[in-house]
Amino acid sequence: MARVYNWQLGRDMSYWYPEARPKAQFGAVFDVNKCIACQTCTLACKTTWTSGKGQEYMLWNNVETKPYGYYPLGWDVKLLDMLGAQDWKNGKYDGRTIFESAPAGQRVLGWRPGQNDYAYPNVGEDDCTGSVDKGAHMTLPHMNWFFYLARICNHCTYPACLAACPRGSIYKRPEDGIVLVDQGRCRGYQECVKACPYKKVFFNPMTGTSEKCIACYPKQEKGMTPQCFANCIGKIRMCGRISRPEDARPDNPLDFLVHVKKVALPLFPQFGLEPNVYYVPPLQAPAVFLQQIFGPGVEEALKTYLNASKDPDLMGLLTLFGCTEQIIPRFRREKDEMVGLDEKGSELIRVPIQEPAYIRQALDAARGVLSTNIP
Amino acid sequence: MTRNHAIRSAAILLALAAGCGKPAAPAAPATDVRAAHAATLPTNADDGAWGAAAEMKAPLVLQDMVDPRKMEVGIAEVRVKALTDGKRIAFRMEWDDPTADDLRVPARFSDACAVQLPATASPDSPAPQMGEPGRPVTITFWTASTQAILDGRPLDLKTLYPNSKIDHYPAEAAALDKDPAGREQMEKMYSPAHALGNTESTKPAKAVQDLVSEGPGTLKPAAATESEGRGRRTPKGWQVVITRALPAGLAPGARSLVAFAVWNGASDDTGARKMRTIWIPLAMPGGAAK
Repeated sequence: MARVYNWQLGRDMSYWYPEARPKAQFGAVFDVNKCIACQTCTLACKTTWTSGKGQEYMLWNNVETKPYGYYPLGWDVKLLDMLGAQDWKNGKYDGRTIFESAPAGQRVLGWRPGQNDYAYPNVGEDDCTGSVDKGAHMTLPHMNWFFYLARICNHCTYPACLAACPRGSIYKRPEDGIVLVDQGRCRGYQECVKACPYKKVFFNPMTGTSEKCIACYPKQEKGMTPQCFANCIGKIRMCGRISRPEDARPDNPLDFLVHVKKVALPLFPQFGLEPNVYYVPPLQAPAVFLQQIFGPGVEEALKTYLNASKDPDLMGLLTLFGCTEQIIPRFRREKDEMVGLDEKGSELIRVPIQEPAYIRQALDAARGVLSTNIP
Repeated sequence: MTRNHAIRSAAILLALAAGCGKPAAPAAPATDVRAAHAATLPTNADDGAWGAAAEMKAPLVLQDMVDPRKMEVGIAEVRVKALTDGKRIAFRMEWDDPTADDLRVPARFSDACAVQLPATASPDSPAPQMGEPGRPVTITFWTASTQAILDGRPLDLKTLYPNSKIDHYPAEAAALDKDPAGREQMEKMYSPAHALGNTESTKPAKAVQDLVSEGPGTLKPAAATESEGRGRRTPKGWQVVITRALPAGLAPGARSLVAFAVWNGASDDTGARKMRTIWIPLAMPGGAAK
């Protein structure tokens, strides 16, 4: 094992290969608060990539309801239980990662879902932690709650799937950090399925190979966002490139959200993979639950998000989510508008930070009729 | 009669006389695989020709040299016989395995076995663990899942999951009924492994695959699979016959090496998680292994 630096943990950690970061790293921010679990992202992915034989059960993108939803069943809680104590001290992870906890003879601490674990993609959907009493619905956080967690492959900086593959069939593209399974080389040992803590690698019984989210790289190579981003009804997703904290560029949307404002957090950073999909945590869930999922920055992130209306740059950037199918590598605020720019600074998209409000009068004076159906 | 011959004959007579009235001493267990000659190599495990070959009980050891390792002892031994016609060699492998695992689906693995020989006959053998750089080994790999397909089990989802319901596959759209090329293109679009010619994903023509390796993690398909193989379930386990080429340059009567591996699907054996033998001397007819 090599020693590598994981900035999300604030410390060095063990990994099977030496640190080799790509020239650029694909990343994303999902605003959990906007997600309505319509599953349009899931279908966009499904129809684009996994409509073939042997792919029936594959959901490279899925949306599950927390706390009781999982796909596959119990994907996170099983590993959390195996991993043991996961304490943070002053922003530094004090526990062990899945690489540091690897049992003898294995490179990663993992588990392989059984076939039945894939049989309930909608388990826990819309299940609240309890019933909401009259009058309780306006408190934050709610006494009873749920939220939707949209998930894709995290295209991790330290992928467990890649570390676990004994054949070197999984690789990370140097140009954008997208993690891919070489379909010509894979022999279907399913070590990657066992190792990925997010369970985002799937074995195809018809091809005999493992398959996973490819971050729609053919689209990204043309400057376009993946299908699950472009088709998101709630406009919860922003796609781009994420830098290391010391290289953060304030005009890069992802760097701004993750490193400058620290309003978006990684998913289970304690696993040690340095995942590159970041989440604006949900306002309604208790901090102690969210801290287990998103790490120690939760309370600060929620505070920042709650005050976004007082921060025109943050507010403006949140309005840019899902406004164009083109990847927005840079942004600039111009008074009350937020402008998405390409790498050369040319305008891609312009949106008002505050949508103008139009008040339609109930009485249509020109026709002398009431134009609303609720007088 | 030469002097040596006379001494040898006398010794034999003495030995016979000493043994009169006593049960014959049990033969020492074979420590090598002795290939017997056969004019025609059998393809079935119960062919009478196997009676001419001595059986070796090859002990299996854990593959615990490279990650991922097998850490718990599995199948303990494989019983091996070998026949050769001088050009090719047939191995009959038998092992006990109470569960027949012939599915390769998520979280389930197939029973399997393999025979490994050095690519070329040489007194300096390559590393027994999948060969080494510049000194390849050739492997013939049999899987129960492939055998089941060849024995008639359809390779489709409905067979694997009888209660599954399938709405639609793009490649089976009616619009492609009269466009076989378009259909094939659509199939490949959703099966990149197939499109890339991955031998794992094409419908098998044989129950075995010929593979080449130059060390752990380097396994790749041979240019073509020329070996033949067939396995069958027995009341106790599996019987598999693999017929394949001899190491290049192996002369009649010469010695080589052979290694075997067995995977138990019920124990999640796959890839490097397997029970294997060390190199075992392989004696060709007319020669003896040291």
